[in-house]
Amino acid sequence: MSSRTPSMTIARLSALLALLLTVFAVGRAEAVEPQPFARGSWAELQARHAGQPTVVHLWGLTCAPCLTELPHWADLQRERSDLRLVLLAADPVPQPPVRVEEMLSRSGLDKLESWSFADRFNERLRYEIDPAWSGELPRTLLIDRDGTVTTLPGVADLGEVRAWLDRQRTH
Amino acid sequence: MRPSKMPSLLAFLVVLLMACAATAQHHQHGKPGAAPEAFTATPAFGPDGTLWLARATADRITVEKSTDLGKTFSEPVSVTPEPMNLDWGPDARVRIAADPKGGLIVTFAIFQDKNFNGRAFFSRSLDKGASFTPPRPITADTTSQRFETVAVDPSSGRVFAAWLDKRNGPKARATGKPYPGAALAYAWEDGDGAFGKTEIALDNTCECCRLGVAFAGPGRPAVVFRNIFPGSVRDHAVVTFKDPATPGPLRRVSTDDWKIEACPHHGPSIAIAPDGSYHVAWFTDAPSRKGLFYARADNGDVPFGAPRALSSPNRQPARPYLLSDGQALHLVWKEFDGNKSVVHWQLSRDSGRHWSDTRTVAETADASDHPLLVAHDGHAYLSWLTKNEGYRLIPLEDR
Repeated sequence: MSSRTPSMTIARLSALLALLLTVFAVGRAEAVEPQPFARGSWAELQARHAGQPTVVHLWGLTCAPCLTELPHWADLQRERSDLRLVLLAADPVPQPPVRVEEMLSRSGLDKLESWSFADRFNERLRYEIDPAWSGELPRTLLIDRDGTVTTLPGVADLGEVRAWLDRQRTH
Repeated sequence: MRPSKMPSLLAFLVVLLMACAATAQHHQHGKPGAAPEAFTATPAFGPDGTLWLARATADRITVEKSTDLGKTFSEPVSVTPEPMNLDWGPDARVRIAADPKGGLIVTFAIFQDKNFNGRAFFSRSLDKGASFTPPRPITADTTSQRFETVAVDPSSGRVFAAWLDKRNGPKARATGKPYPGAALAYAWEDGDGAFGKTEIALDNTCECCRLGVAFAGPGRPAVVFRNIFPGSVRDHAVVTFKDPATPGPLRRVSTDDWKIEACPHHGPSIAIAPDGSYHVAWFTDAPSRKGLFYARADNGDVPFGAPRALSSPNRQPARPYLLSDGQALHLVWKEFDGNKSVVHWQLSRDSGRHWSDTRTVAETADASDHPLLVAHDGHAYLSWLTKNEGYRLIPLEDR
């Protein structure tokens, strides 16, 4: 390396630099992974959807009924163009984002906005979402235009979600 | 060519490359997105007052000891010679128990696959913790074992192990029958440092909550667990052994009627006082009863009394733990106050009929293990591993 350095021009170095930057940029863009959900993320997520009726579905890789339920959400998403769905993987111990992404792809939900718990201090993350939520999954939050939250604990009754969507339309 | 420019540009390139590499590394292995890791520390006092601490970190189990009540610890001794895929579930933990002769037993579980099928192992030390035998499976069946719990019968020094075992699931499903949950399995140490035949005490318990074990008498362990009652109701029950080979009937601790198709990852705790009374604390999220609760029974035959709430459900009360130490009964649990996790403590000196006001004995502002209790020589201690503070053994002073 040291013997070659003197012969290198600044232009060649710049080209190499550009190439390296491109490689890294592409490498990172290919990894379509959930956004890390950390302290403060709940406020950010809410702000992003403020004024829009939004459904936040909490699920987990370590929750077997959740994995059975996910494809039904993909079906509902196809059926209802008015469904603004956000997925949040809330495993009690944070899971590798690539595995969260794999599961969403397999369930037909990989094109949606997705987040994944990225902090082992899950008490704090849960408290920001709902102080009374002790971590049970699945769980679905129906958020009105004015920010009012209706919680569906357990596997969601999609009929209830459809009825809620209908009510949002009439407003 | 001026010599100064090239090196600075090269240096810049190197720094940039390193930064990119670090970002990529961080992206894959750091936080966020780290592979889940076990984060537990479990204490046991030896008969001479030595505090033994078993720890699970990333891919290994170690044991260290303290002869000054947790102020300083020895160099850790490895229990796992090779890296293992440890069970990092939120209710799983490494366990350690000391027998009356000062021998140690450590148990832990690994994940065998991506479907969270486990394999439970044990390791022994007969040289006062200087070394541990290579880990061996607790049972020969390879289907799945998790939440193994080990306890030493104080009357005989014999080691009892209980765990949740999935061996009966495939058998039932092969004959077209559904098999929710797992089985409560147990085995006794057979005298030469291995476990004897595995027996199934009960089928269809909840499959991913920790167990609690206490002794009702010589050869008579009592196990508390989250059961699956008809209709997928996951409430708690106790089974007390009539003798070492005969599990007694199932006794329901309370009728919370928490119907849930998922697993709460949140198991109970049990203590049996010298007067024979039973004490159980547990978590539930039933529509009519949410949070942490405590109940007592005068003995092993009568029903449990009315549940007493330990906390408001909007403070995330979690991980209760009970300890009987002479005439004292200690109860701790964890809560979250919006910023910090705190450990609360209550004390009873009349067999759990009346309890002291709640006192806060420790707190932390980041992730933490379950709070545990341990006692020696008439003194009880909170044992708590937290991310910020590390391991702490905190005396429970009766002020």
